[in-house]
Amino acid sequence: MPSTLGDQPDPHRDLLLEREVDVPPELVWAAWTTPDHLKRWFAPTPFTTVDCEVDLRPGGVFRTVMRSPEGEEHPSIACYLEVVAPRRLVWTTLLGPGFRPGDAPASTPTGPPPFTAVISVEATDGGTRYTALVMHSDPDACRRHAELGFHDGWATAFDQLVALFR
Amino acid sequence: MPKQLAELDRVFTALSDPTRRAVIERLGAGPTATTELARPFPMALPSFTEHLAVLERSGLVTSRKLGRVRTYALVPTPLEAAEHWMVVQRRTWERRLDQLDAYVRDLDERP
Repeated sequence: MPSTLGDQPDPHRDLLLEREVDVPPELVWAAWTTPDHLKRWFAPTPFTTVDCEVDLRPGGVFRTVMRSPEGEEHPSIACYLEVVAPRRLVWTTLLGPGFRPGDAPASTPTGPPPFTAVISVEATDGGTRYTALVMHSDPDACRRHAELGFHDGWATAFDQLVALFR
Repeated sequence: MPKQLAELDRVFTALSDPTRRAVIERLGAGPTATTELARPFPMALPSFTEHLAVLERSGLVTSRKLGRVRTYALVPTPLEAAEHWMVVQRRTWERRLDQLDAYVRDLDERP
């Protein structure tokens, strides 16, 4: 995959995930870009995606509403930056539709921190390889955000562990 | 498995045992020699030192030998908040992509 500006992960604040699936790239692309598909997988369990809007063009909106198991709804608005079907998709939650700064709702204590995601998709012999690069702002800001509360049983267990050392 | 998760697996394995958790709590009060740590536990010393070895491999504790006395101390580093944060983010995205992979495979198999 050609390296483009912004594709180099910073190990202290970015995530790079690489996957291979035995399905055609078009299907992976559709799953990332179609509301009906996104609703079926995008929210990390036990959250569900109850609403989703996609305007698939640079500056277009990517809006989701996730619902917690307790029924609390978390709206999120993002803006597509690059749309190159079926190879590359970039969006950020730091901008609203039309690249407008500040239209995205401020991140909530229970929601995910702001990020820019770069999805790269390529065909392989048996199917598709794709990477997800998730870029965050400075680690301190992210940490403060995370400390406000991520409601994850596993994270809670970890917090208890950390408390043991205080 | 990502390195951070492998490390955390060792941490959780280390903490999955009541003896080892008790040792961690005891070390919270300060560095302690093996014999002193072993005193509250009704088990043979070799069994007890195996518990200490598990803790040391997890990175949660470190030990130092001075003469014939080995002293254990807590190492808080594996549990720093930054790492915690990154691990939570990674876990969220890994879970998300697991769901995506399962979903597209399922779609692909449908007639």
